[in-house]
Amino acid sequence: MVVKEEEMVLVTPGEVLGKATEVKAGKGAYVAKHNGLVYASLTGLLRTLSPPPDSPDQRPTVEVTGHKAHGPVPEPGSVVIARVTKVMTRMASADIMCVGAKSVREKFSGIIRQQDVRATEIDKVDMHLSFRPGDIVRASVLSLGDARAYFLSTAKNDLGVVSAESTAGKLVYCISKYDLNIILFYSFWIFCILQIASNIISFITLFKFS
Amino acid sequence: MEFVSPEGLRLDGRRPTEMRQLRAEIGNVAKADGSAVFEMGNTKVIAAVYGPREVQNKSQQMSDQALVRCEYSMANFSTGDRMRKPKGDRRSTEISLVIRQTMEACILTHLMPRSQIDIFVQVLQADGGTRSACINAATLALQDAGIPMRDIVTSCSAGYLNSTPLLDLNYVEDSAGGPDVTVDKVIYVDFALNGRVKASVLWDLWLYFGSYGLKET
Repeated sequence: MVVKEEEMVLVTPGEVLGKATEVKAGKGAYVAKHNGLVYASLTGLLRTLSPPPDSPDQRPTVEVTGHKAHGPVPEPGSVVIARVTKVMTRMASADIMCVGAKSVREKFSGIIRQQDVRATEIDKVDMHLSFRPGDIVRASVLSLGDARAYFLSTAKNDLGVVSAESTAGKLVYCISKYDLNIILFYSFWIFCILQIASNIISFITLFKFS
Repeated sequence: MEFVSPEGLRLDGRRPTEMRQLRAEIGNVAKADGSAVFEMGNTKVIAAVYGPREVQNKSQQMSDQALVRCEYSMANFSTGDRMRKPKGDRRSTEISLVIRQTMEACILTHLMPRSQIDIFVQVLQADGGTRSACINAATLALQDAGIPMRDIVTSCSAGYLNSTPLLDLNYVEDSAGGPDVTVDKVIYVDFALNGRVKASVLWDLWLYFGSYGLKET
């Protein structure tokens, strides 16, 4: 969404921001059903956002940003970075550290179930071969889950273990979609990439080898 | 006893429709999510808001809205004679309930299901109108915490002594034995009145009060 104009207008809860037929209520605003007006619900600066040009609803969105920025919260569909804490037969627990590009302020727990590790052959997944405690994983949030943890999934090509340490404490390289190993496979493609990789420091994210 | 002199002045020199001096500060309690200190004349009240956070007592958790809890207490040193029991007596419980119901009607609780919002209000100095000062302080603390609300709640007390309606009673006028009412009103959206007013002049003054000093910069 493109920011149309940045107004330095301070609003307080209960101030009228417009009619519900003309503007859409974003964060920090709400629509009163009895008279169809959009009111502010937070104290802060008012911003008007233009709608995307291809959407059927061409009303601008009004939102109010408060001065206290709360930390990000995982939402279904967002990509998170998590650290694996426990690996069990049918699931792995992870502590969510970042949501998108921002780090979280409070502790959030996530669970990666056996059927959500990958998209193919989901009943043949061995959790202990897929994850180890301490691995850094990029996952997407499937749902809010139960009271204890979010449900995470790594079933896409750009998701999965991003960085890991071997038992000796060395950084482990990713060499294929499924294998993360410190022992080198002597194959033409991998050999070429490793020539380049041996000069590059830090971790490599998962790429699809076709 | 004469509460309104023949010239029309009250005991502290105010006119019948004049309020006491208002002062407000926000952000005093650093650990709380939101806090405010509100003074109406000599009555001084501090409010701290924690939330929305996880519900501590899982049996009270509501799946579709937030749980609002409120605790009102008076400091031992707030009144002239040192108070023996600042919390748990009937008056504190009743005022806690009133503040909770008022705030619950105003907070958009459906936006924060399965969470809890705690409002703690403590009277540091009591000189009449503590209930009103508490509601005003709680509103400011909730706004400081960034909790979405329908509107700003303002509150004021009024009474009737010596055949004169008086606005914003202090302790002496409050204990005089005449009728008095505390009204909570939201300023922009017309709803949620907790009391009734007889004198129309007080109504205009409440609207004036509502728009005064409650907008923070």
